Amino acid sequence: MKTILLVEDEFGIAAVLGSILEEEGYRVLVAANGRQALNRLAEEAVAPDLVVTDFMMPVLDGIGLARALRADPAWQDIPIIMMSAVPELTVKRDFTDYVAYLRKPFSVPLFLHRVAAILSEG
Amino acid sequence: MTDDRHSLELERVPSGIAGLDTVLRGGFLKGGVYIIQGVPGAGKTILANQICFNHVAAGGRAAYVTLLAESHSRMLQHLRPMRFFDETIIPDRLYYISAFNTLEEDGLSGLRDLLQREIRAHHASLLILDGLVAAEEQAGSDREFKKFVHELQMHASMNDCTVLLLTSGSAGPVRAEHTMVDGLIELDDRLFEVRTERSLQVRKFRGSASLRGRHPFRITGDGLVVYPRIEAMYAVPAHPEQPLRTRVATGIEGLDPLIGGGILQATTTILVGPTGIGKTTFGLHFLAQCSEAEPGLLFGFYETPVRLRDKAASLGIDLATLERQGSLAFVWQAQGESILDELAHRLLEAVRSRGVRRLVVDGLDGFLESSIHPDRMSRFLSTLSNELRGLGVTSLFLWEMRNLIGSAVQVPIYGVSTLVENLIILRYVEVEGRIRRLLSITKIRDSGFDPALQEFRITDAGIGILGPLPGYAVTPDALASSGPVSSERPSPRE
Repeated sequence: MKTILLVEDEFGIAAVLGSILEEEGYRVLVAANGRQALNRLAEEAVAPDLVVTDFMMPVLDGIGLARALRADPAWQDIPIIMMSAVPELTVKRDFTDYVAYLRKPFSVPLFLHRVAAILSEG
Repeated sequence: MTDDRHSLELERVPSGIAGLDTVLRGGFLKGGVYIIQGVPGAGKTILANQICFNHVAAGGRAAYVTLLAESHSRMLQHLRPMRFFDETIIPDRLYYISAFNTLEEDGLSGLRDLLQREIRAHHASLLILDGLVAAEEQAGSDREFKKFVHELQMHASMNDCTVLLLTSGSAGPVRAEHTMVDGLIELDDRLFEVRTERSLQVRKFRGSASLRGRHPFRITGDGLVVYPRIEAMYAVPAHPEQPLRTRVATGIEGLDPLIGGGILQATTTILVGPTGIGKTTFGLHFLAQCSEAEPGLLFGFYETPVRLRDKAASLGIDLATLERQGSLAFVWQAQGESILDELAHRLLEAVRSRGVRRLVVDGLDGFLESSIHPDRMSRFLSTLSNELRGLGVTSLFLWEMRNLIGSAVQVPIYGVSTLVENLIILRYVEVEGRIRRLLSITKIRDSGFDPALQEFRITDAGIGILGPLPGYAVTPDALASSGPVSSERPSPRE
């Protein structure tokens, strides 16, 4: 079973995406910000197969989380999907090392298609 | 509330919404905590976002924190068509986050810590907390919630960060948090028979004066547009009144000699009469006297500019040339669901921007029909007249009376003659089987005038005074009354 770390501060979005991913057969870890996500990863024995993270979050944002992942040899190869309501160019100014960008609001089929495609590549 | 001298010393954070800043006498006080309260759909979220975008445009930084509110992506989708929206400032200068998980997991102290951290992390000079009710529900007691608000207040003050707390609810009993915050603004959206009107009220504004009472607003493509209530905004005329000396011509052949040579400049005249008697024609004659030095404006509700130009041309009055020269303009209001104060602000703006000296309002009924509070009309007209007078405008307000033929005059507002300097009544009378038109000069302030009833005629050359018509009297009983203002429109009587 593939494991996905879902990082999203808006609890409603996190709840919906989390349950959809679970229905698709994925194991889902949920965190409300980048700091929580790093804490969850530290607690896990095995690195997740994919990180799906929001861009704007309290405490530690999506870019802060992504940079922390890339700086750690244990997590630096985990593919990252970045998602946000702002245009991708806004994110790309500061960070480009992600495999997909989803602009909110997006459709569930698109989201699941991207997740499945990235995990099958891995 | 303190006097303005004290509040001048406190630095303001403008909302960037002209009407609201007028109501707040310049904006929020820097480092203050304010509650914005309103029923769902009243416009709180748009208002708060608009203030954020305006704040950033003015050089500030803002953080928008939601608890139980719509998702950020949906919110931004709804905001994107608004003209104040600027995607390029997100996230560097305007940052959106949700703090609901923190509230759920760590309670109010966790939320307080998060807000403090985000203010510092983003150097926010403005913080919005959308969904205060969720924090209140999370609190174990009133005391815990008051402690949260107090700590937030201390932090806002020490960091020069102005905080707006958005919460649902309508006017009701004073709540604990109301007593603590620096201000409380209430948004309302009320139904009046079949129409609704949005309004806001500053219920508390610590450390500053504010315009009291309710002020209507609209939500447009520019966001909230607030129209400060005319009586509150111009309680003291913005311009000192000048001594009355100069007379201006009415443009009506034969009338000026009867009123001492013309109407005194910067006075208000009400011209009352039934439908079809010639009120608009009278107004067109008045505007035909416009010039570069004395620009004119017709602020109309009924006949469109195209029809007015045709009407003037058919009477030999060349308004088109005056328009081309820039000496005359028409501002026409569609008969929709206008807001009384919106109309008055539009009128005053047109007068100021064009330097208008001759004004015709056709007619006062347009204002009356826009008012959801007819009780206001007497004071509203008085304030508007005062402001126009201060701007040096000689105003002619046309007003339709209900009864078509007869000697008694009845209009919807009692005591109106005390509000204006000049009052002229036009009437139909039946004489030996024929309808004749009469003009009665009822009041010309500071001037002698001929009290005789004057017969007048409208020909291809417009209005002309024929002379006195003995034996007939117009009784301006209702107009001359100084009794209480009626909130009901009296039925026509003969």
